[in-house]
Amino acid sequence: MKYVIRFKKTGVICFTSHLDIMKVFKRSFKRAGIKLAFSQGFNPHPKMGFAQPLSLGYKGYDEYMEFETAAEDCDTNGEEMLESLRALMPEGLTLVSIHEAPELRKTLASMTVAAEYEIRIPLCLPLHEDAKELWKKYMGQETITALKKQKKKKDPVIVDIKPKIRKLSFNPRNDCLVIDAVLDAGSESNLSPELLIDTAIRTLGIECDRAEISVSRLKLQFRQPI
Amino acid sequence: MLKTGIDKELESMLKRVEKPARYTGGEVNMVRKDLDDVSLRIGFAFPDTYEIGMSYMGMQILYNILNGNDRIYCERVFAPAADMEKMMRERGRKLYTLETFTVLDELDILGFTLQYEMSFTNILNMLDLGGIPVRKQERMKGKYPLIIAGGPCAFNPEPLADFIDVFLVGDGEETLEKLCLAFADAKAANRDREAFLEKIGEIEGVYIPEFYEVAYGADHNISHMSALNEKAPKTVPRAIVKDIEGAEFPVNNIVPFIDTVHDRSVVETFRGCTRGCRFCQAGMIYRPVRERTPKTIERLAMEQLGNTGHEELSLLSLSTSDYSQFEPMATGLMRLCRKQNVALSLPSLRLDSFSFRVLDEIQGYRKSGLTFAPEAGTQRLRDVINKNITEEDIFSAARQAVELGWEHIKLYFMIGLPTETLEDLDGIADIAKKIVDINYDVRGRKGGRFRVTVSVSNFVPKPHTPFQWEAQNRPEEFIEKHNYLASKLRIKGVSFNYHETATSNLEAVFARGDRRCGRLLEEAWRLGCRFDGWTEHFKPEVWKQAFENCAAELGFGSGEDIEEFFNYRHRKEGEILPWDIIDPFVDRKYFIAEREKAMKGETTHDCRQGCTGCGVSRYTDCFVNCRG
Repeated sequence: MKYVIRFKKTGVICFTSHLDIMKVFKRSFKRAGIKLAFSQGFNPHPKMGFAQPLSLGYKGYDEYMEFETAAEDCDTNGEEMLESLRALMPEGLTLVSIHEAPELRKTLASMTVAAEYEIRIPLCLPLHEDAKELWKKYMGQETITALKKQKKKKDPVIVDIKPKIRKLSFNPRNDCLVIDAVLDAGSESNLSPELLIDTAIRTLGIECDRAEISVSRLKLQFRQPI
Repeated sequence: MLKTGIDKELESMLKRVEKPARYTGGEVNMVRKDLDDVSLRIGFAFPDTYEIGMSYMGMQILYNILNGNDRIYCERVFAPAADMEKMMRERGRKLYTLETFTVLDELDILGFTLQYEMSFTNILNMLDLGGIPVRKQERMKGKYPLIIAGGPCAFNPEPLADFIDVFLVGDGEETLEKLCLAFADAKAANRDREAFLEKIGEIEGVYIPEFYEVAYGADHNISHMSALNEKAPKTVPRAIVKDIEGAEFPVNNIVPFIDTVHDRSVVETFRGCTRGCRFCQAGMIYRPVRERTPKTIERLAMEQLGNTGHEELSLLSLSTSDYSQFEPMATGLMRLCRKQNVALSLPSLRLDSFSFRVLDEIQGYRKSGLTFAPEAGTQRLRDVINKNITEEDIFSAARQAVELGWEHIKLYFMIGLPTETLEDLDGIADIAKKIVDINYDVRGRKGGRFRVTVSVSNFVPKPHTPFQWEAQNRPEEFIEKHNYLASKLRIKGVSFNYHETATSNLEAVFARGDRRCGRLLEEAWRLGCRFDGWTEHFKPEVWKQAFENCAAELGFGSGEDIEEFFNYRHRKEGEILPWDIIDPFVDRKYFIAEREKAMKGETTHDCRQGCTGCGVSRYTDCFVNCRG
């Protein structure tokens, strides 16, 4: 049976990477005595995966993980599994809910289309522009070019990220600038908030160390309800 | 005020460092306690990175025992990497424990595990980062945690005598908890340092350096070591757990988030070794052999796997297949692991036919390399070191391995062993060559992708071994031998690697050093040495400078004279050795007799075949729980 778990990643655990979180889940299934289905082939691996990887340091409030239980284990109960997994989770990984997803044909990863982020940039000096002016200054550009690191090649490439920004608002406060953004996410088109941050602080002339900026992913959007 | 979480500043530091999860704790099975409920707080410090420290089983054993006591809270501390250290120093942040983010100088006790000499500078660095003066003398002026240390290097505690208040020598399972409770009592009773130290001096294995004074003669040798306190024993007998079957062993191991060197379940099957290799300190200081029963091993393995979710199980001992009921135990574990989809890993197997069957089964068609450790290239030299393995053993095992489909054979040797000649080095190349030929013989002229790796380490004479009096090879001798071997091993299908010379020479100084070496250590640390066991961080030229800077103060003509004295001369059997203060329960007479036999090329049989008279049986039973 296929299941989808919705969870949150907050606090200290945000410093643990996506792959390591995957390991935590894998081991938790084992500890909880939940038998997963395995892929076929020379190197079988358990059938489980996340909708979207979450970068190191980001908080996630609407994360999803899918898994499939072994065929021989036919009397699994979602709520019971959730309870036993909850007891095993390290601090910061909060399991919110579980549901059966027998109709799920594709992976969650391939169904993801967009993600909603909240980005907080601390300010040493207050900004002169208001929300509207900031938006105009940034989104008014014909193209928004960013340098994107390539996976295999050494040199970064220049990309226009504007088409991948679905929704954006700048909300200046006294000591920080909050950016609410909905960005393309998933296998078809994806925009990392890092590129938005890079271009935004450059265009708006904000002096800020990347390590002072915090990013939360508030919501994931899927092609169809999951 | 105790900081028990990550504040803004630390958070922004963590965003900047490599592998931040090294510094956050919170792992599965980490112990949480209410600080108001405990009367003693101890930091267990591993003087290397998180990834290395978390792979060390001894920490999990002691963490489990201490935290099993309601009065004690044991937390972990590791050495921060260079990037984190830099930020901590820039911001004046102190090193903290992973459990509660408590800075080190607020603990009651800070205990270091001494696994290898090359981690010693990290001890000083961690003390300093924790806001604690490195020298004991300085600490006495204020209120600081008690600094203790244990582990194999505590068998020669003297190089660290100026920095450590109390050493725990030998098995720590019983003594560490006793010491903690004694401290808690002393704290409650407001006892002073002297009275407290006298009290814990009664615990077996406790060595208190300040209770002794060392004097040196004109020849630099120790002229005498005298007790300053009437309660201080003449020698400190090591602590020993007589029956490890009954000793606590963890089943709720902390599971790290990030990849560590070994991230797997581990069960110690037995302690001690009967083989009597003359270079091997572990083979001497962990005597006698004490086993856990197969039933207990199985139970511990299954509970640990159940509580951790690990995908791999490994067994821990000095020689896996010497376990008295190895075949039934391994067969049983194999069956259990297969059922649970867990990989079983059996390190340091003796390669007999049973082992091959086991390995063939657990590795399947994805065979990793197969390792042999002949240690020396000729039978003559193997007899000298008492490594009782013959060429016939090696070649017949290699043939079996090739026939069963292994494509990579790793060979481990040591160079610089006592009495070594060029012939012994030729022997190393011969063995490699013959194994390559065996492969051609079995697989035909092309031989497939078969590889032989020859790894050579440099002999470091260790305290409490028959070779403790030997001179170590000088750097130029090692280098010459490496070059010689490199030319001899230019054989198709053979790769050769060796250990860095300068590291081995430095390790030897601290392995057999005395109290004066503390100055060298401190100077090197002040000059910036850290992580000396890491090739990329080791700074031989800085160490050289440190030796030079200290020479005059220590009464030597130059830095080279220091090395000469500690390393490159044969010590006389009548000398007072710095580690004579520790009694390993193996007699000096035995070491001398073994040394004499070595020089004559005579072997000593495995003591399972009859007692060889090392002396340990006078203190405790040998072969506890061993069958047959």
